[in-house]
Amino acid sequence: MTDTAIEAAALAMSYGRRGHALRDCSFRLPAGRICAVVGPNGAGKSTLLALAAGLLKPTGGALTVLGTDPATAREHVAYVAQDKPLYPQLSIADTLRLGAELNPGRWDTGLAERVVREGDLDPNLRVRTLSGGQRTRVALALALGKRAELLLLDEPMADLDPLARHQLMGTLMAEAAEHGTTVVMSSHIVGELAESCDHLLLVSGGRVRLGGGIDDLVSAHALVTGRRPVEDLAPHTVVESRATGRGLAALIRPDGPVGEGWDVEEPSLEELLLAHLRSPESPALLTPSTAPAGREREVTA
Amino acid sequence: MSSPLLRGPRWADVRLHRGALWTGLGLVVLAAAVTGYLRWAAHAYPEPTGPCTSDGSCDTFLGFGSARTLLYEFLQNYSTGMLLIPVLIGAFVAGPVIGRELETGTHRLAWTQSQSPARWLVSKLTVFAVLSVAGGLALMAVFWVGRSGHEGMSDLIWADRGVYESIGPALVAYCLLGVMVGALVGLLVRRTLVALAAGGLITGLVLLGMGSVRWELFPVRTVSGPASGTRTSYTMHDIPVHSLIMDMGVHNTAGERFVAGQCSPGQMADFPCPSDTRVTGWYADVHPYSHFWYVQLIETAIVLALAAAALYAAFRVLRRRTV
Repeated sequence: MTDTAIEAAALAMSYGRRGHALRDCSFRLPAGRICAVVGPNGAGKSTLLALAAGLLKPTGGALTVLGTDPATAREHVAYVAQDKPLYPQLSIADTLRLGAELNPGRWDTGLAERVVREGDLDPNLRVRTLSGGQRTRVALALALGKRAELLLLDEPMADLDPLARHQLMGTLMAEAAEHGTTVVMSSHIVGELAESCDHLLLVSGGRVRLGGGIDDLVSAHALVTGRRPVEDLAPHTVVESRATGRGLAALIRPDGPVGEGWDVEEPSLEELLLAHLRSPESPALLTPSTAPAGREREVTA
Repeated sequence: MSSPLLRGPRWADVRLHRGALWTGLGLVVLAAAVTGYLRWAAHAYPEPTGPCTSDGSCDTFLGFGSARTLLYEFLQNYSTGMLLIPVLIGAFVAGPVIGRELETGTHRLAWTQSQSPARWLVSKLTVFAVLSVAGGLALMAVFWVGRSGHEGMSDLIWADRGVYESIGPALVAYCLLGVMVGALVGLLVRRTLVALAAGGLITGLVLLGMGSVRWELFPVRTVSGPASGTRTSYTMHDIPVHSLIMDMGVHNTAGERFVAGQCSPGQMADFPCPSDTRVTGWYADVHPYSHFWYVQLIETAIVLALAAAALYAAFRVLRRRTV
């Protein structure tokens, strides 16, 4: 087993006339992480996950999944698409049987059935009668039952009520921790991710803008306020600055100690993400563990 | 459903289309039951030998002159119905089997289990090719049983459209063509209803087109003889029985062919007539029954080649879409 779950090098995906979904997307995701892929709608999150799942063929660059190409890694990767596709005419029990038939040798019946049972779902119900949240649960049961080394979940929790979300996330995290599974989940709800994820990829405009451990990324930035001109922050990388009642507020990547006259705070994850989304021209930051091999110096600040 | 043949993706394909497959089986059973009953009835209630009287004492069967008449009527419609089988297969594979998966996105579920998209397609093609051929053969066997002993019936001649398809291997090839064309259309169109219509239409057009050219695929046998008497009367006792007559007419001393009635003196020159319209002999271009197998096998080979081309194209389309 490789220590890299996903590695992308100058990955590009364009959909003909609809334009680029991803362009020059480069990053490395170490194995065993719980990684959140965040970004605005249409940023390329779903495309990135579908490429890693081997559903799409990239139009440029290279993508390595679990040390090999996505097609070869298919057996070791589970994927849940955003719209949770399931066969409506099958019962829940038959849907799980489908998972067993299509994943011989690796299917975990007990786990899949447990995920369904915890949602108080009758296995004889047909999928077409289920609500959105119940479908999500069955789709996740199918993904977990595969016992994959890499779980790719596209907006997995969007349809779930808070209780079910908490409970399913608990099951997911427990399984991931026990088996060392790498989990990649996309979302645009930051709060959902902050508590369960330890790694972050911010995708915007088809590129990775931020990548790394959440703690590393947060501590690499500082929120400074002061009644001084922005030029004072010159040695540092200023991601975003704006005028407030208390003077100038800026999110910076400090390069050495910040000068006199500035109040320095650690930003929240949400402040960090919003600042980067509002300033698309700010340089990308990938922490050393997340930079693709051979490109570390080039992309790290 | 637990036999080793029905494991993995094949189990999935059969389970997903269980309703349609039961319907198909029901159709075969119904066809066999009706044919069997009519065969029995045709034997048990022979045609009335005496003259029918005006007060309706004639021995009728379900409103038909006799059970045999009903059997022939039924078999004639049955043979026409057999032409629909490849069309239905093409429509079914294109629409519900492939098109619907791509339209509703369930292919993303299937392709992210432990099987590649290519294996997904191979499994679907295998399952539906085997079931289509089995169903087609079963329906052909039923027709064969219904028609045996009545091959000479004027409504059930071997060369008739429908009958020709129902008694030869070409129908099996058309069933396979339906599966392959259906897969290609489904992958290209990716919409259930449009693919269903297009898959059936294309298979039907090939069936129709081949039906109009199939007798050109093998050279006709020409039989001829001298005109006898002063009129253009001629005998045709040299034409083998049950032959399919493609063309017939008369010719002059130079061997130029024309239709006797169209070129008699005083006729308007609407028809291509030679200058010398003196009939010296008659001719007929025919396909005797012995040509049946040649034409069937040539047609089967052509249709199988088309099916193979569709199969190749379907995998090319799949390769282009995914990894």
